[in-house]
Amino acid sequence: MNENAPDRRDAVHQQALDRDAPSAFPGDRHPAWIRACRRLAGAGYGDAVTDAYIRSSPDIARATTPQAAIDLAGTVSSVAIRSGRTAAALLSETALDAAGRLGEGGFVRWVALMEYANTTAPESLTALLKAMPKLLAEIDLDGLEAWLRIGVRSAEGDAKRRLRFFTLEDPSAIRWLQRTSGQAGFADMEARLKPFLTALWGDNPPLRETPANAPEQARRRPGFDGSIVRLPSAYPGFQRTEAERLYRAAVAHIGAHLRFTRERFPLGSLRPMQIALVSLIEDARVEHLAMQDLPGLARLFQPFHTAQPTSAVNAQTLFARLSRALADPAYEDPNPWVIKAREAFLAEPDLRDQQLSRRIGNLLGNDLGQMRLQFDAKTYVVQPPYRDDNLGLWDFGDDDQQNADAEEVLSSARIRQEENEDRPDRVEPENKPDSEAGQVEIQQVEMNGVLVARYPEFDYVTGREQRDWTSVKEYLADSGPAERVARLREQRADLANRLTALIRSARVSRAERLRRQSEGDFLDIDACIDAAVARRIGEPPSPRIHGRYERRSRDLSVLLLLDASQSTSDRVRDGRQTVLDVERQAAALLSQAMAGLGDPFALAAFCSDKRDDVRYMRIKDFGQPYDGLVESRLAGLQSGFSTRLGAAMRHAGADLATQRSYRRLLLVVTDGEPSDIDVDDRHYLVEDARKAVQGLSRLAIDTFCAGLDSSADSYLSRIFGQKNAISIATVERLTDLLPKLYLTLGR
Amino acid sequence: MHQGTGFVAGASGGERLDDFRIASEPYFRPVANEIGLFEAAFSSRMPIMLKGPTGCGKTRFVEHMAWRLKRPLVTVSCHEDMTASDLVGRYLLDADGTVWHDGPLTLAVRSGAICYLDEIVEARQDTTVVIHSLTDDRRILPLEKKNEVLKAHPDFHLVISYNPGYQSVLKDLKESTKQRFAAIAFSYPDEAIETEIVATESGVDRKTAATLVRIGQRARNLKGHGLEEGASTRMLINAGLLAKRGIPVDEACEVALVLPITDDPDMRDALKAAVAACI
Repeated sequence: MNENAPDRRDAVHQQALDRDAPSAFPGDRHPAWIRACRRLAGAGYGDAVTDAYIRSSPDIARATTPQAAIDLAGTVSSVAIRSGRTAAALLSETALDAAGRLGEGGFVRWVALMEYANTTAPESLTALLKAMPKLLAEIDLDGLEAWLRIGVRSAEGDAKRRLRFFTLEDPSAIRWLQRTSGQAGFADMEARLKPFLTALWGDNPPLRETPANAPEQARRRPGFDGSIVRLPSAYPGFQRTEAERLYRAAVAHIGAHLRFTRERFPLGSLRPMQIALVSLIEDARVEHLAMQDLPGLARLFQPFHTAQPTSAVNAQTLFARLSRALADPAYEDPNPWVIKAREAFLAEPDLRDQQLSRRIGNLLGNDLGQMRLQFDAKTYVVQPPYRDDNLGLWDFGDDDQQNADAEEVLSSARIRQEENEDRPDRVEPENKPDSEAGQVEIQQVEMNGVLVARYPEFDYVTGREQRDWTSVKEYLADSGPAERVARLREQRADLANRLTALIRSARVSRAERLRRQSEGDFLDIDACIDAAVARRIGEPPSPRIHGRYERRSRDLSVLLLLDASQSTSDRVRDGRQTVLDVERQAAALLSQAMAGLGDPFALAAFCSDKRDDVRYMRIKDFGQPYDGLVESRLAGLQSGFSTRLGAAMRHAGADLATQRSYRRLLLVVTDGEPSDIDVDDRHYLVEDARKAVQGLSRLAIDTFCAGLDSSADSYLSRIFGQKNAISIATVERLTDLLPKLYLTLGR
Repeated sequence: MHQGTGFVAGASGGERLDDFRIASEPYFRPVANEIGLFEAAFSSRMPIMLKGPTGCGKTRFVEHMAWRLKRPLVTVSCHEDMTASDLVGRYLLDADGTVWHDGPLTLAVRSGAICYLDEIVEARQDTTVVIHSLTDDRRILPLEKKNEVLKAHPDFHLVISYNPGYQSVLKDLKESTKQRFAAIAFSYPDEAIETEIVATESGVDRKTAATLVRIGQRARNLKGHGLEEGASTRMLINAGLLAKRGIPVDEACEVALVLPITDDPDMRDALKAAVAACI
């Protein structure tokens, strides 16, 4: 592009440029900026792209630095090429907003993030930029980066899924957004809300998150039925402490219903407005009763009653004002209807009479009818937000048709059917893995594993753990010919006996103090006094006056975790055995020795097929005997899929953590670097596995690894630490080394 | 037989135990007929076991009864390293030779005191069997080392306490020990009585005491749902004592109740919120 060539754009914008540009781009920055503008104009991205840049960049330069504004042109250009002109034009406009929010340092990083999005998710960039002001209002740049990476990774290369994520159509996108933004969501609050509810009311109903597929209204308000309390996954738009208070208020309010709403109101032929009113009075009634015992609840509830006496008069606002009038004694409302309602409520002699809600509600309903106020059941939302949707107050009877109206008010009527079974871990319907599993040949008959747990995964780039990122499914181990394992074991019968002897002599336990020994490290004072006394009395004193500390027994639980990924089907050097065979043999030998001595140990194998299918096969549990059945499972192991080591170790660790022994040991046998097909970054799973090992050591679980890969040194010692990993060049040596590894830990 | 004497050996009882007498009436608010039951059991010297959660008034009750019956009270807090000689007594060395020292149990047996073994399950089972011969009609204590069989003073009475709640199955009394005792069950008193107790003991007004009791009930709701034990009456009294000194009630509860009772941050948060709801 010839910079001196006359340019149409220059003519059009010359005036604008002359007017405000020089102040934004002082000195030599000004020509540089002109060059950038010309380059954009000349590249043929269209007027909109160039216009937007020329319009926004001077202000960006003022908010940040001239150089940052000039550099933006390069990003605009690459966005135009990859993501399209709409995105490119939008970028300049959004950048102006971002510059204002983030300032100089933040802006440069933000632009880099947009370049990342441009390369990894070009189809979604427009949507992302449109959502950007809202996103930046909620999360910081760290959060944004984490969320972008999650979106890119969770779509697993599928552009459509990515787009759904970044347009926030995918419910999980919103949930991740809440988590990365540090908003208080149900997941954070659950552990605190449960004991709060129990403490207040002595009642212990299960708390559940409203499923993401529930109707919009139901997702905005909590609810309950006889047995379950349902809470929104988040209260968007509330600050963290506010949201925490909202959750507490919601739980306290529902607890009051569970205590004081003795029976459900029959729906009868009530109109939606009456239903809403009776519910409102009932809400006030149970809160008043609750506050008799727990006066502090007033401080929890009242701040959320924000209705003003000056608000426009319609049903929705009047209802909110009435709620406030009944909850807040200091509130004055000039509306005669509200005054009348409050007087009627306060005149009730006994709030324990549940029928009063019906009486007053019906009375008010009639008045409201005469005031000719429209009540729109479709848009009505209970106020304030901590109150439940009132579904739990009403008895719907059998006649569904007649109740259609009521269900509009009580919009969540169908949730109960939609809600997942009583799963403890709030699992949403699983996405079927796409058929693009591609590289990996699926040899096994597809058997459905059972989702047992979700674990976080550590993203070293953002330094955050993404909660519930991996799903571990337990699969039934296939059976194979047990004789095969028995044969492998017998091949090394010599080793088996030596091993038993070695393990028997290993002492792994807490040191015990032994008293009254004939020799030892210290004097046993009691024994000394006894001896002296005996001498004085004239009896022969006992010479056993010493004491010492000694480890007397083995108090050690071991879980042996075998890698069964695809690469374990490789043949080892002599070609007769596969890597998996060697693992099998080592496992069998070690198992037999430990079983013979009665030590608690477990055997499991793992492989993975992307993050939502980490497969975990239990071969032997701690309580189980080591028998033919176990050997047949060991024989039935097959190689397949990838190595998501971190998730498997976390799951094995959870198992091991339940063991009550002095030391707990996770022995990992793996044949290569951690990897999975949904991860491109070689370091990612290594760092995650390292994090998993650190997590286990916090649970007082020792982790040791035998790597069957001569080049494994670097990453194994990165994951497990130098001393806790050995890499074995010739696979056959595993059989010798694994037991030794076990013994070294013994100390 | 050696003539070495411990600090009460050879004394006829009574006078040497003045330190163990309770001079003024310890406050105790009966909830049911526990005083009558204790007196009846004492009159036939039937050993008594007091069962109940921590901080509900077992020890205070024994003190009160000792005062009421005008008997000295020898209290032993049991622990897992306690041996039989810690209870019974042992020979020690001094410049001249060996000296026998009575243990607290022997002291009580000799001089006719009430011996109160607090938290008896904490002691090892082989330790607790030394009380067997004292708790049936023999009423003797063999002092093996000293080659003496001590006949219990007619006024000697044995009381043990025992909290069935938090101890694990590993720590339980032997059947043969259990069955020698009559038991009185203690629990936290009901709201009105507990309010009275908290008000009297801590000196706060009844309204504050009632609030504290309501807070206590909130914490007791969590027993088994994250807390091993609910808040004891003792804790509530402590909170009351702080409040009496001008500490705001919520802060007093945090210091005296929430922080001691749990280390789990979620639990603390929930408890704090529940405390706030009561005030």
